[in-house]
Amino acid sequence: MSKVTAGLDRVTRVPGVRGALIANSADGLVVAEQLMDGVDGRAVAALAGSLIARLARTAHSAGLRPPVFVHLRGDEGSILAAPGADGLVLLAVVGREANVGLARLEMLAAAGRLA
Amino acid sequence: MRALEPWVEAPLQSFLAESSARLTLLMTSSGQVVAQHGFGRSLDIMTAAALGAGIVASTEELARLMGGSRFEALMHQGSRQSCMLSAFSTPRGRWIALVVFGPETSVGIVRLFFDAMVQQLATAAPREPVRPTPLLAEDFEHELDASLKALLGR
Amino acid sequence: MSLVNFTAREITCKIVYYGPGRSGKTTNLQYIYGRVPESRRGRMVSLATQTDRTLFFDFLPLELGSISGFSTRFQLYTVPGQSYYNATRKLVLQGADGVVFVADSQARRFDDNLESLQNLQDNLLAQGVDVRQLPAVFQYNKQDLPSDLILTQSEMDDALNFRSVQSFEADALHGHGVFETLRGLSELVLKRLAAGTAVA
Repeated sequence: MSKVTAGLDRVTRVPGVRGALIANSADGLVVAEQLMDGVDGRAVAALAGSLIARLARTAHSAGLRPPVFVHLRGDEGSILAAPGADGLVLLAVVGREANVGLARLEMLAAAGRLA
Repeated sequence: MRALEPWVEAPLQSFLAESSARLTLLMTSSGQVVAQHGFGRSLDIMTAAALGAGIVASTEELARLMGGSRFEALMHQGSRQSCMLSAFSTPRGRWIALVVFGPETSVGIVRLFFDAMVQQLATAAPREPVRPTPLLAEDFEHELDASLKALLGR
Repeated sequence: MSLVNFTAREITCKIVYYGPGRSGKTTNLQYIYGRVPESRRGRMVSLATQTDRTLFFDFLPLELGSISGFSTRFQLYTVPGQSYYNATRKLVLQGADGVVFVADSQARRFDDNLESLQNLQDNLLAQGVDVRQLPAVFQYNKQDLPSDLILTQSEMDDALNFRSVQSFEADALHGHGVFETLRGLSELVLKRLAAGTAVA
């Protein structure tokens, strides 16, 4: 679990990141989280987890490999997702001013260690 | 979808649309059906409600025995479909929800929108329950007698 | 408490068969289940032990038909009779609209009947139910047994029926008295509903 926590730490240290969590995409439940006040981790896990599971199914149906990174961009910020092994997915909630490029690098590195 | 009282309909409809649940049953803690979606026969609904209320009541007793607070929700995970049982407070007393869902959705989604429905129900409930004056005609005994005779073939 | 749907004009009532172990509560439901056309009854659920003793409850939903323009349904429950299942009995008793107390007429079961009746009253009181207001009838079952083994209806009334409610002799195994008991209690439950005291 320390590896997981370390991964969340590195992601949340990126400027503009308001929280990071690991969810199980199959059941949409939070496995671990580090969130600022006001970020509803349960909702992010449920909705983003479901989206990632659907994306993986869609990609599979189209004969493609599952996505390695997903960026959902909204008016006020974004949700970033990096699927890892065993159905786990690393998620980050970032503000509009966030350094998405750095967050992406940290997330891909952390997601590679998820198991 | 059918609901005993109209104010239950909008929150339940919204939950069904958001959660993609296959079956949903709302009942009182004694197992009386308040609203339902997806069930066919009314008699089967009553059976599901009786069993659901029984499970919740017995787990609440179990929690009390163990000195803990009530369980928030009870999940039965199946290979093709899963089931969530959860008791919650409403302005009309304690109700129980039985939700059956498949792999097209997830526990997280169902619980997320279930909590939203509980909040919507609390807001939507009229302050004073409507109590229309009943009800049965004075000579209902004759109809009761005829119904029971027809039912039991005597 | 009965649920009344004024929009769909439906009434649903919960009736509980109470009494000591092996007095014939499940047999009442089994007889009713066997006599009622399939279209008017649901599945009979029996949560029983391997030796067919009721563990949690038996449940039988019935579609009674139209009464005063209301589509009327009864939910029949039994409780487990054995004394150590009291937690379960309390749960099943919650929200009951009426109670059939099924007593065993055998003289040797006299104390068991009394103990179960006392237990019913205790459980109702604990739930804040006024025992005098709750529709109830007695059924004295096993009246088909040899007369030297059983108490008569009037002896049973003297022993148990302090409130002088309706009582019925029965042989639930063969159906004698089962219909009359259900009819008697149904009438009381619906009368109470007609008076507007049990509307959800």
